[in-house]
Amino acid sequence: MSTQFTFRPRVPVFDANVRVGDLHYQPSPCRNREQLLAEMDRHGVDRALIYHAQTEEVSPIDGNGFLEEWLDSSRLFPQWSITPTPDSLAQVQGLHEEGRVHSVRLHNARKVGLPFRPWACGTMLSWLSEHRIPLWIPLPDADADELAMTLSAFPELVTVLVGAHYSHALWVRPLMTAVPNAYLELSRIEPLGEVEALCEEFGAERFVYGSWYDRLAMGTMLFYLHHTDISESELELICAGNLHRILQGEGRHD
Amino acid sequence: MIEEQRVIDFHGHTGRLDLYNGVDDPDLILGAMDKVGIDVSCVFNIFHPDGTTGNDITARFVAEHPDRFVGFAYVSPMMAEGMVAELTRAIDELGLVAIKLYPPYTQWDLNEPIWHPIYEFANERGLAIIFHTGSDPHSHPGLLADCAAKFPNANFVSGHAGNVAEPRAAAIRAAQEYPNIYLETCSTFRTPGVIEQLVNEAGADRVLFGSDIALMDSRPQLGKIITADISDEAKRLVCGGNAARLLGI
Repeated sequence: MSTQFTFRPRVPVFDANVRVGDLHYQPSPCRNREQLLAEMDRHGVDRALIYHAQTEEVSPIDGNGFLEEWLDSSRLFPQWSITPTPDSLAQVQGLHEEGRVHSVRLHNARKVGLPFRPWACGTMLSWLSEHRIPLWIPLPDADADELAMTLSAFPELVTVLVGAHYSHALWVRPLMTAVPNAYLELSRIEPLGEVEALCEEFGAERFVYGSWYDRLAMGTMLFYLHHTDISESELELICAGNLHRILQGEGRHD
Repeated sequence: MIEEQRVIDFHGHTGRLDLYNGVDDPDLILGAMDKVGIDVSCVFNIFHPDGTTGNDITARFVAEHPDRFVGFAYVSPMMAEGMVAELTRAIDELGLVAIKLYPPYTQWDLNEPIWHPIYEFANERGLAIIFHTGSDPHSHPGLLADCAAKFPNANFVSGHAGNVAEPRAAAIRAAQEYPNIYLETCSTFRTPGVIEQLVNEAGADRVLFGSDIALMDSRPQLGKIITADISDEAKRLVCGGNAARLLGI
């Protein structure tokens, strides 16, 4: 595919990682659902899994409430945030009873000293595993050893590891090997030749496209994925197929 | 080449940075460049304060593919006594064409007098100097204004365009004030709207595409230019037109 100054994706795109709403220190460039949909249209993105910025640093419970106004039944799908407290788990369980939970995202409790360990997160992880609900885990907040040890104790749980950066380059392979039900989201995978190398080593079915908009510009990684050595069928899996399968509860490799 | 526009990557590294899996494998680098139409990458080695060791590595790297890479010289005021002699050797004997500086490796702000022999050298020859710029005090891009005023025949390039919001704004102000200041785009942050901000506020003729290869793959860094909401004419300047003019290549 020769490069042009105008880029449009040639496969369906379902973005696995879009943030909406304002951070307390950074207003979002998209002020409402219509502006977000316009940005997606500009980049040729069909659908997106969205979470609210307030769930990152303030409150997963309030943030989940703020997410409601952004949802769109045909293009914008909710990703509820969760943390291992009784209130948070009860909120997500209530949403689950309404049939509205297809994935959740881990709120960072490590910054206040609560590690990602079975004694601290076991009740939550058991419930997610039992109900085949996949868990998104942002790697910038994570500890590699905690992830490997804890996820090994919940082998049925499907996880999506989000935002691996070149500073995680030494983690990614051993973690993907140690946790066979883990997928890797690709928004920050920038080491040289890494997309092709990872796909060759683990298979394209272990990867999902995410932009991490509005933390990052939306179109960049889509452009990258369309200019690699991976096959067209692998591109389709990464850009939409794998995510669709994970959200259907069909993400396990067993 | 993209739509007949020669594409030049203004920011690349030779050497290994294994901690981040950054390895200057020429086959991988050329493979990434070829996938997106990058014709030439500018490379330098910043890991050796004597300058000589890294510049020799860069020269050997360029010599393997002289039609695809151009080398920049690196020196450091940590070994100030040899800076000008090494620059002279690197430019005149090794054929390197511009200068890279990395103030965070030193204890001096980039406008302090210890750096001035480098700027005088560049000023006499009309060379470009690319700096790592960011939020740390030694490499704050607002300091480039001082250098640009004192050395008007040299061209000062703010690498990463300051990387984050406050230094980026300072870099833009400096570029608005001085015609010999340019802004280079590579950054792992990839914040939405940054390319548009640089082009709209500093001018498309002052922005240079860079990738940080081999620390980062050049494809996503080019992607943020291609997918930015700017005109095709601006993309042509950013992707190669400005670099060709600045380097005379």
